[in-house]
Amino acid sequence: MSTRSTMFDWLLAILLIIVIIMSGVTIYLLNGVYQATIVTPTATRPSITVYALWSGQEEANFKQALGNFTQETGIDVSYYGYTTQDLLISVPLQLKAPPYPVDVVIAPWPYWILQLSPYLESVNDVINASKFPSSFVNPVKDSSGSIWAAPFKLSGKPGFWYRKSFFTSHGLTVPTTYQQFTNTLLPAIKAIPGIEAAIASGDTVGWPLSDTTEGFLMGLGGYQLQLDLETGPSVRNWTDTEVRDPMSSLTSLLTSGYFSTPADWQSQITKLWNGQYGIYWQGSFMTAQPQIQNVSDIDFFGFPGTDGVSGSIDYAVIPKYAPHLTEAKQLVQYLSGADAQTIMVKQGGFLGTNIDVSVTAYKPIDKEVVDFMGKSGMHVVPDLDDTIGGAWQTTFWTELKLLWTSPNQLNQVLNTLETAAIDQQGT
Amino acid sequence: MQQQKIPSLLSLILKTLRRILTVSWLFLIPAFLLLIIFVLYPVGDTIYQSFLAKGNFVGLQNFNYVLFEKAFPLINIPNIQLGAFPMGALIDNLLWIVIHLPLTVFFGLAFAVLLRDVKGGTIIKSIVFLGVVIPMVVGGLLFRFVYDPDAGVVNALLRLIGLGNYARDFTFYPQTALISIILGSVWIWTGFAMIVYSAGLQGIPVELYEAAEIDGASRWKTFWRITVPMLRSTTLVIITLTVLWELKVFDIVYVATLGGPGGASSVMAYDMYLEAFYSNNLGSASAIAVLLTVLTFGFAAYMVNRMSKM
Repeated sequence: MSTRSTMFDWLLAILLIIVIIMSGVTIYLLNGVYQATIVTPTATRPSITVYALWSGQEEANFKQALGNFTQETGIDVSYYGYTTQDLLISVPLQLKAPPYPVDVVIAPWPYWILQLSPYLESVNDVINASKFPSSFVNPVKDSSGSIWAAPFKLSGKPGFWYRKSFFTSHGLTVPTTYQQFTNTLLPAIKAIPGIEAAIASGDTVGWPLSDTTEGFLMGLGGYQLQLDLETGPSVRNWTDTEVRDPMSSLTSLLTSGYFSTPADWQSQITKLWNGQYGIYWQGSFMTAQPQIQNVSDIDFFGFPGTDGVSGSIDYAVIPKYAPHLTEAKQLVQYLSGADAQTIMVKQGGFLGTNIDVSVTAYKPIDKEVVDFMGKSGMHVVPDLDDTIGGAWQTTFWTELKLLWTSPNQLNQVLNTLETAAIDQQGT
Repeated sequence: MQQQKIPSLLSLILKTLRRILTVSWLFLIPAFLLLIIFVLYPVGDTIYQSFLAKGNFVGLQNFNYVLFEKAFPLINIPNIQLGAFPMGALIDNLLWIVIHLPLTVFFGLAFAVLLRDVKGGTIIKSIVFLGVVIPMVVGGLLFRFVYDPDAGVVNALLRLIGLGNYARDFTFYPQTALISIILGSVWIWTGFAMIVYSAGLQGIPVELYEAAEIDGASRWKTFWRITVPMLRSTTLVIITLTVLWELKVFDIVYVATLGGPGGASSVMAYDMYLEAFYSNNLGSASAIAVLLTVLTFGFAAYMVNRMSKM
């Protein structure tokens, strides 16, 4: 063998070894074996990261509670506001591929949280479940009894919001029956000069329309109808008469032009305030919006005759490999407790989930929402699309956009929702 | 015996490798490794996944599901028969090609030819080319402003010409959502066609135009008899790249309409995203990916074959 070919053999052998090592490292990394070896970084003053959906005034309010937490514990908290789409999609991807920077995520989707539970830290030892009213605030619990989320904020969707001064100046009165609503109030608002539409329709990825629809489903079909739809096609189909009837009433109002074309939900608040719309279906967070220049001039009325009201809960969850697990648990414990929630409640537009939050902390308009939700015969039902979640939720959102501009396509919308429900929830 | 066998086996492997490998191949190995890990393996795995549902082999079931059975099938036969939206993401992609392709090719060629000898033409070309430079996500956001019922330029124009009754957010209506984003994106892609055509025009010998002028050919005739035929290969390149872009379009749809309303403006790439990340259904998402790959690969292969014959 010549020296040259020996060198070549050695070169090949070395290369083979490199290839084998590289392949091994790649497989090791691809399998995520390194997850087990994540080292929690230590810092002299711990700083944790929180993701949530809030921006603007709601973010500012939340930061006040976080500021109090930092004062009490010495733990700094960095807040990152996400959009709905980003939180829905990118956070699961992050949690499935550690390491990641986030310690606490706040999200309103129980289905999403349960799907993510293999990547979350259980909060059984963090929260006191007995402190949440079991009739309508359920921590996200799986069949084994593990609790994966701490209920932090409750957003009631009590009904239509309006300006008191607008109603007074145009001689409008709050309806007590559905007939009064459709035959008196809506035509009266529509007839006001300069009005764009009687009812504002908000748009984001779709949720303000879904809240309005839930209002009609419960208002005309009863709270049990919504609970049945949340259970799925095994109990209630979207194509059933019980669903079609309230939806037909909604499309009848859409056809009559009482609803505006959907537009950015916050710009619609401005238009409501400016008198371009008469009423707007929104959640209790309405009062925290900066467009509401005078909270004492805003009020709401529930869907006439309803026995149900949607309640959406924002949950705090802890990723399994949170860089600062201990501090994250401290924060979640704090957020689910009465102190943090009282700070939030006092700022307005926030309903607490902890029973120790004093009713005296609420602003008058928020107290009105709390009283409405707690009145005799009223049932607080989990938000429909947040509960079902997944692909059905996006289908619901996009189908409602279709319905709002093409109410004559109700049959197609209900069939599509039924197909999507079967796909996700089975029969 | 054992001790003798091991070196001989090793030397056999090395001998074989020596025979098939040269030093130049050795230097290519790192690149091939990366290609295998990041391209070939994912492609192979995607094809494999497209035949699975919850880990079980299901044959072509995923393909049947995404094409015809899911809530928003890729081909919505009843709606196609009625001429109603949504017709399905696959049909929407084809509509992108049918509408967007001729418009971008036409405007790209028109801008390139008309601005060729115009003073300040380069500045105008740069402005037109801005559409290609801006991120598609920004382009999608721009559409939302363009069609805004109050502040949008389209509705302002309608009001200006006395058609204010028709002013609305066109992306909210199933009949107009798809066409709105297709027409809007013509501006985004025209810059690309214009630049490639401009480069193609530089390659046409001036003598041809001079000869045509001496022969008394009109500008119109010169355009059809010299410019268009000489730009044939350029046109094929533009068509190829534009169709591939139209088949894989995602970001504009995602930002402007989220595929709505009611799936009326959805495209295959967006459907694939929904199946993968909302439904967590990797099998059907992979099936859409395979269909998309077959379409793009088939078209690209056909066009490359045509170009090689020119």
